[in-house]
Amino acid sequence: MVLRAYLIPALVALVLAGCGGEDWRTTDISERMPALDFDLMNEDGQAVTWDDYAGKPTLMFFGYTHCPDVCPTTLAQLMLSIRKLDPALRDDLQVLFISVDPKRDTPEILKTYTDAFGPQFIGLTGTKAQIDAVTNRYRVTYTLGDPDANGNYDVTHSSAVFAFRGDGKPAFLAIQSDPPSAITGDINTLVRESQGG
Amino acid sequence: MRTAFRCLTTAGPLLALLPSLALAAGIEVSDARIRLLPGDTPGAGYFRLHNGTEEPVRLTGARSNAYLHIMLHESMQKDGMASMHAVPSLEIAPGAGVELKPGGYHLMMMQRQAPLSIGDEVPVTLEFDGRDALPVMFKVVSPAAM
Repeated sequence: MVLRAYLIPALVALVLAGCGGEDWRTTDISERMPALDFDLMNEDGQAVTWDDYAGKPTLMFFGYTHCPDVCPTTLAQLMLSIRKLDPALRDDLQVLFISVDPKRDTPEILKTYTDAFGPQFIGLTGTKAQIDAVTNRYRVTYTLGDPDANGNYDVTHSSAVFAFRGDGKPAFLAIQSDPPSAITGDINTLVRESQGG
Repeated sequence: MRTAFRCLTTAGPLLALLPSLALAAGIEVSDARIRLLPGDTPGAGYFRLHNGTEEPVRLTGARSNAYLHIMLHESMQKDGMASMHAVPSLEIAPGAGVELKPGGYHLMMMQRQAPLSIGDEVPVTLEFDGRDALPVMFKVVSPAAM
């Protein structure tokens, strides 16, 4: 009920504004999440903020490279969605892979990792405080497990993909149970919309 | 057993052409692959296993000269969170199968001992409780392969 009471004025506002809004097939977060903002470190070890990436529709995902299954699977699914875009539009999208495991994920490791998926994939990490600022902002959590005898530890992390417009405004959130066709469709809408049509 | 035997007889000449298919004592492994990740990051091993024997079989792990450690793992998704945990063993009932696939059970393959390229074939030995280990050729596939 709370959600409905909240949504109706939001929808009315959208109609009145004449922009219509998008009918995302995944979860609409345009009214539920803050605009994209962060202070992190890039693949060259330099401090960066959202301003360094603003202008392109952006997908954001939290993970770590010592994640052999879920993270590459998510990135591979995004890569397949990107390949379905009009070739002229593929470079108009960026995927920010934010590692929550800066101890193992040095900038060099992140760069090698994201390069394996394509030019749209960019690795970011930072200090724990910097990472926590981003995860808190998007209301997700992560935990680092205890190291085993080989020093390996597991990381529990959000598996959602957050999508933002080129100006950083939130658009949609894709989760693992969303059909790949819905995610591909929404990515396509996001990129086309940024082209003005 | 008869089905497995017939399968062996007819498929025998083809086996040489299908390096990822292993058949031993009624345990069939197919589609065995390692999703290679760059650098020192661990890769995931996936395959399908069918237990054509009349007994339950218990997969306990795997070993390979290509990786220092291989662990049987399971990925879980709960409340929008992804996690992974070690699985001590997997029991497969007679006539049943199990699929190790993205987002579920997988072999976590750690500390690669030599460079590998996409398209390479890597021998991996699957280990079982109370029965002979099973050597299987795994094909090295792209990080983006599903």
